[in-house]
Amino acid sequence: MTTVLKTKELQKQFGSLTAVDRVSLEFDDDEITSIIGPNGAGKTTFYNLLTGVLQPTDGKIWLQKNGDLKDITTLEPHEVAQAGLSRSYQITNIFEGLTVRENVRVARISHDNSRMDFRSRADSDDEMERDIDDILALTNLEEMAEVPCDELSHGEKRTVEIALALSIEPNVFLLDEPTAGMNPTETTKIVSLIQQLNRDVDSTFVVTEHNMDFVTDISDRIVVLAEGAVLADGVPEKVLNDERVTKAYLGSEST
Amino acid sequence: MSSDTEGISDRVTAFGYQAVSEGWTRQRVSILVALGLVLLAFGPSFQVYLFTEFLIIALFALAFNLLYGYTGLLSFGHGLFFAGGSYGFAIVLRDLGPVITDTVGSALGPLITIGVGAIVGVALVLVIAIPVGWLSVRLEEIYFALITLAFGMLGFSVIIQNPAGITNGTDGILVLLGTIELAGMEIRLGDRQVYYFFTLAIVATSTYAIWRIVTSPFGVVCKAIRESPDRAKALGIDVTHHRWMTFIISAIFVAVAGVLMAGLANVASPYQSHWSTSAIPVVATVIGGATFFAGPIAGAFVYLYVRWGISRFPALEAHWELFFGALLIAVVLYFKAGAVGGILVLRDRLRKTMGNKTETDSETGGENR
Repeated sequence: MTTVLKTKELQKQFGSLTAVDRVSLEFDDDEITSIIGPNGAGKTTFYNLLTGVLQPTDGKIWLQKNGDLKDITTLEPHEVAQAGLSRSYQITNIFEGLTVRENVRVARISHDNSRMDFRSRADSDDEMERDIDDILALTNLEEMAEVPCDELSHGEKRTVEIALALSIEPNVFLLDEPTAGMNPTETTKIVSLIQQLNRDVDSTFVVTEHNMDFVTDISDRIVVLAEGAVLADGVPEKVLNDERVTKAYLGSEST
Repeated sequence: MSSDTEGISDRVTAFGYQAVSEGWTRQRVSILVALGLVLLAFGPSFQVYLFTEFLIIALFALAFNLLYGYTGLLSFGHGLFFAGGSYGFAIVLRDLGPVITDTVGSALGPLITIGVGAIVGVALVLVIAIPVGWLSVRLEEIYFALITLAFGMLGFSVIIQNPAGITNGTDGILVLLGTIELAGMEIRLGDRQVYYFFTLAIVATSTYAIWRIVTSPFGVVCKAIRESPDRAKALGIDVTHHRWMTFIISAIFVAVAGVLMAGLANVASPYQSHWSTSAIPVVATVIGGATFFAGPIAGAFVYLYVRWGISRFPALEAHWELFFGALLIAVVLYFKAGAVGGILVLRDRLRKTMGNKTETDSETGGENR
């Protein structure tokens, strides 16, 4: 068991509002952690702090790379990604105008560090094309490879989102509500995809989610955020039976 | 004699039959285009001038679209680089031309001067584009358009101030290309035919270079940034740096167009840095279709030839911008994909009506998506 991601006293204030309140967490490489909490609990802000989109007011973040924990607190988003932290977005964020294959190719160009190559053709690197094939096969997107993403269904777009984040071979993969806006069939598909990826891929998964069936299904550990702070943290059975958690979800929390 | 001509006419007829029966293969189209481009040089002098200007504006718009259609940044100040190319070139011709000719002799002096001038023009733009781009790409959308507009107008003001007597104020700098002697022949470089072929070679090479860039890994990353900068960042792409590099490359090709323009118009004018010049590639690209590689070329063609068509009617000429306004509104409302998009739609319809459905949708005409 190795710690792959760690935060200490992480805090973010927007004016007088404390969105993330001294969160200290460690994520281990051998478990899937779900972060749950009511709307406005600070889940997405927490992700934005981890990925460098927002700068914390206070606290620190470390990411494991080659055995060492590296301080990534002040890094820019692209540097965080290069350091090995990848994410999917709650609101689908893919390259809509490009085909599925081109989407993955962009990620592989970034991963292989050939962004500044002006001279070769983008699709001429056989090794890269094979890697793209592998990723498309892994995420069951082969049949849609040549389809422009703006012609895909919502569920398919969400899958492309996961394929993209996966393509840079991250140490840690943050999934922000992967089933948001999906119908039950699509949800089943994406849940089994994530379970399958968790088996087949080296990345450590951290998931935020509202869908409780999915959370209990997939998680080894659940962290509950409420009003920006950690309310409960532990194995699913323990956390979900915690009285404070039920209260937070029913909105009758007394302070 | 007669059998020779018959042979040729037979071959031409055969070529015609083949073209009709076997369709327009890429090879045949290329041959015809090349032939047309050569024949054009022997047309009326003004038409040669107009077509040369079209080539230059096409390169200007193509370079602009590297930033707009491919990377998603609308620059309203590319005139600055157009002027930069022209002025760097013009200043060398004015101040160094005689020195160079004295050193290397009058036979090839003017040609070498042009070479040095072109290099200086492009280098000058590089020196300007590096800091201007660095500052501009920190902004997005309307703010990017405004800051580039401001830089363009700043360039305009500096040029008309005539700092240290270098830019010659509002009059601009006269550009005379001179005459060289090659293998006992006198070639006037400013001759419209000569200059047309010269421009054609440079524009064709530049177009090919830009095509290579947009199809390279670098170009694919540009498109990704256009689609979603945040997603690109989350994949480890330094969006600001990539935009900066694209800005500089775009400016360099605009500089090449600027050098060519000074030679064609025989003047480097401050108005090249004015916003009204910066608007030309914007208008051309929107008319032609920003989502197609060839869009800016088609747009430049429409822009110049419609303007020329209007100028045939003196009563309308004073208000030619009005027609462009109307044309632009029509394009924006009904032909979002521009002229190239319109042509592709027409082609697909034609193919469908001719029952040749197999090829429909097979090509996208270099659409940059």
